[in-house]
Amino acid sequence: MEAIPEYNCVLTTCPYCGCGCQYYLQVLDGELIGVTPCKTHPISQGKLCIKGWNSWQYVVDQGRLTKPLIKKDGKFVEASWDEALDLVAKKLKELKEKYGPDALGYLSSAKTTNEENYVMMKFARAVMGTNNVDHCARLCHASTVAGLAATFGSGAMTNSIPEIEYANVILITGSNTIEQHPLMGKRILAAKEKGAKIILVDPRAIQLSNFADMHLRQRPGTDVAWINGMMNVIIGEGLYDKEFVENFTEGFEELKKLVAEYTPEKVEKISGIPKEQLVEAARLYASGDASSIVYSMGITQHTTGTDNVKSCANLAMVTGNMGKPSTGVNPLRGQNNVQGACDLGALPVVYSGYQKVIDEAARKKFEEAWNTPNLPPENGITVVEMMNAAADGKIKGIYIMGENPMLSNPDINHVRKGLENLEFLVVQDIFLTETAELADVVLPGATYAEKDGTFTATDRQVQRVRKAIEPIGESRADWEIITDLANRMGRGDIFPYKSAKDIMDEINRVTPSYAGITYDRLDKLGRLPWPCPAEDHPGTVYLHKDGKFTRGKGLFFAVPFLEPAELPDDDYPLIMTTGRVMFHFHTGTMTRKSRELNREVPTGFVEINPADAEARKISDKDMVKVSTRRGEIEIPAMVTERVPEGIIFIPFHFKECAANVLTNPALDPVAKIPEFKVCAAQVKA
Amino acid sequence: MADDKRVDELGKAVKEALDKGEADRVVGLKVDSDGSVRPYLWVKGDDVSALVISPKYPLSTVYRLVHEKHPDMKLGIVARGCDERALVELSKRGNIKLDEIVLIGIACNSDEAQECVCHVPYPTKISAGDKVEGVDTDELLEKIKGMSLEERGEFWSYYFGKCMKCYGCRNSCPLCTCKDCKLEQELFVTPGELPPEYPMFHLLRAFHTVGRCIGCGECEAACPMGIPLTKLYKLLRDDVKEMFGYEAGMDPEAEIPLLTDLTVNPIESGEGGA
Repeated sequence: MEAIPEYNCVLTTCPYCGCGCQYYLQVLDGELIGVTPCKTHPISQGKLCIKGWNSWQYVVDQGRLTKPLIKKDGKFVEASWDEALDLVAKKLKELKEKYGPDALGYLSSAKTTNEENYVMMKFARAVMGTNNVDHCARLCHASTVAGLAATFGSGAMTNSIPEIEYANVILITGSNTIEQHPLMGKRILAAKEKGAKIILVDPRAIQLSNFADMHLRQRPGTDVAWINGMMNVIIGEGLYDKEFVENFTEGFEELKKLVAEYTPEKVEKISGIPKEQLVEAARLYASGDASSIVYSMGITQHTTGTDNVKSCANLAMVTGNMGKPSTGVNPLRGQNNVQGACDLGALPVVYSGYQKVIDEAARKKFEEAWNTPNLPPENGITVVEMMNAAADGKIKGIYIMGENPMLSNPDINHVRKGLENLEFLVVQDIFLTETAELADVVLPGATYAEKDGTFTATDRQVQRVRKAIEPIGESRADWEIITDLANRMGRGDIFPYKSAKDIMDEINRVTPSYAGITYDRLDKLGRLPWPCPAEDHPGTVYLHKDGKFTRGKGLFFAVPFLEPAELPDDDYPLIMTTGRVMFHFHTGTMTRKSRELNREVPTGFVEINPADAEARKISDKDMVKVSTRRGEIEIPAMVTERVPEGIIFIPFHFKECAANVLTNPALDPVAKIPEFKVCAAQVKA
Repeated sequence: MADDKRVDELGKAVKEALDKGEADRVVGLKVDSDGSVRPYLWVKGDDVSALVISPKYPLSTVYRLVHEKHPDMKLGIVARGCDERALVELSKRGNIKLDEIVLIGIACNSDEAQECVCHVPYPTKISAGDKVEGVDTDELLEKIKGMSLEERGEFWSYYFGKCMKCYGCRNSCPLCTCKDCKLEQELFVTPGELPPEYPMFHLLRAFHTVGRCIGCGECEAACPMGIPLTKLYKLLRDDVKEMFGYEAGMDPEAEIPLLTDLTVNPIESGEGGA
């Protein structure tokens, strides 16, 4: 019998947002031919967004990196794996010996698997001797991890996606949910059809605005003020949950005292939200038996990001909307595996499972597990700090896996200075990105479709990624590359991995929250939400059940309002804010390879209110110049009421008109997340 | 359980077709260890105990994809009534050849017929299950028909306003096989807008289903926003039946009305005028 045809539907997890849709990659005779939704999957339920439907196209794009590249005389030359990896091993050793381990930095990737993030952070710590390992969570939800860990004891989404459908009131802020987490957006509208009330707090008018019962449009960067204002009303009118506050929380009196200052009148002056609207929204949120807060980067990407997150936590706790189904504080994570990359310790302060590097017991545990004495005891540095240190000459070499800081970081011109100042830059990626172009060595990684592993969705659900086709060209799975490199650097003893499963076996042993999440169980159950401390544990769908917070009692923080780092002035009179569109993802590296997605939105644009446009004699589709203190870009104007007067919006996907040339790299002092969402700008015809 | 019996019968039929060499492969459904169900190409020697019948998938699409690549392969398909009707329409458009198909028919049960509001919940040849009566009454559709023009406008503008432009309705349609999709042409629909231009996007697609929509419901099943697309298309199917006497997928010999009336036999004067 002839061997062909081979038609396979391989169940895997979408590589775009954090919803965690699973679908089938269709493979015919070894060739990837498309995506078909999985009707039995609890999140996707046989449905996908446009990015999901087209998520196979970049895998087979002609522009994929297929061979290692070494830069010689300013030009990339193809090399063998042996040549490239020997060179990387040699250079890393040299730099470490010459400048010390902390002169090197490592960027892991929220696009790669849990197993790969674990291996990358282990490589940085055990082989290279530094905690300078971080990834793009720093740019999206670092403030969530810091803020919710401080208030609740666990820095993750408290409840799960399906629960939202049964909430009575949903407060959505800083999340363009239908566009950025479409299958979560679907649940929100389903909740609405079941009778839920929707409160949207967002400066922009978005598709969700049409379905919201209330749309409050705050001035960007005033979130602490309006949330304090809501609590002012809720506490002042006695609408708070006294029993919950008394039994399960601490710090209420300080909070009460502080929010008393945030009268609706005062909040109106700060935020621009009419006081009547604020009062009504506060009453509405407090009225629900199950009120849920949903937020995303509109909350986190501020110099007060951690404060904003703590404020959301305060609001949920004050009303007792914690530890019950369909309630909670629900940050929507932007990347397929940004939750997992954090969980697995690709952060400068923790090993896997948020075990702190400064905690001696944790360190000892990993020294033993990794057979490596003297793991570095100090916290490492973060993404933006790493770029600054490179510019200052303190960091000499960086190894980047699957990240594109030349488009994703704030103040790109400064990032370029930093990366060009390095003695050695390695970039491991699937395409020759803007960042890879600056590298000394480029290593071709394999995509999600070409390897095994797991991703962790925004609601802590761990799911399998399954290999559908052989890696394109000579590309290799990221974990294989790092394992090979560790071997070349003499640490094959602790990098014995032959498969992604081997790595998960080790993760199970050293990571209490992942202890029961094995491949065998995932193949039977499909998905498991952490914490899952044992093989007979069902996983934890929602956190802090019955008011039993991970940290003991929920901790209120009395947070005063602080203005953003940069405010409009005469030279730069507009507030610029950034974000994304339905049809593209982050730096466009993947989505811009898709004909269908590019056809919808081929390039960037600046949304500007008709009044601001008219004052500048700007018409729709005119090419305009947008400038800030960091730089200037040329970009087509979109004259639209979507943005209020005084505010402009630019999606950050597009290198030819990169919003992040303009953004402010000022950092949140705790979480070190930059203030992507507010800076002062000018637009000229 | 009646359903177990149906699966059993189907498994036997598939196995027999493969064992006897009537088919080299059979397109069907398979359940995996985690309970997920996927389209699968059954081959001789496979353990058919993992064969299942629901949830239904657009299997005619899988048949078409495999057939395009392997036109000489003897290819079977597990087909419900709608799958068979999709194959009939595909054959009329030259995508496949009806007489080459090894059709292993399965009759839907009355719950399934009810859920799909299916008029003919069985194929012409049945290997598993028993024929049940078709369903003629569609509550939501009757409600829509009873609406005033204004109410209907409101009804559809609410649902179309939810559209996230995933193209899932088109992508999952067994009959959407056009190389150049009109939904993607800037002349008709402005790209990049959310929701897509009202009502052009949805009405354009609706009119393009004329003469081919077999009412399988895959479009609505794929819609993240729960837009009742099958109702819209059913209204058009009824019109096509009334005006041209044509029911998509029912009669392999009947000619597609768009071909006959527009190119071969011009509409007689007095008929079909404005």
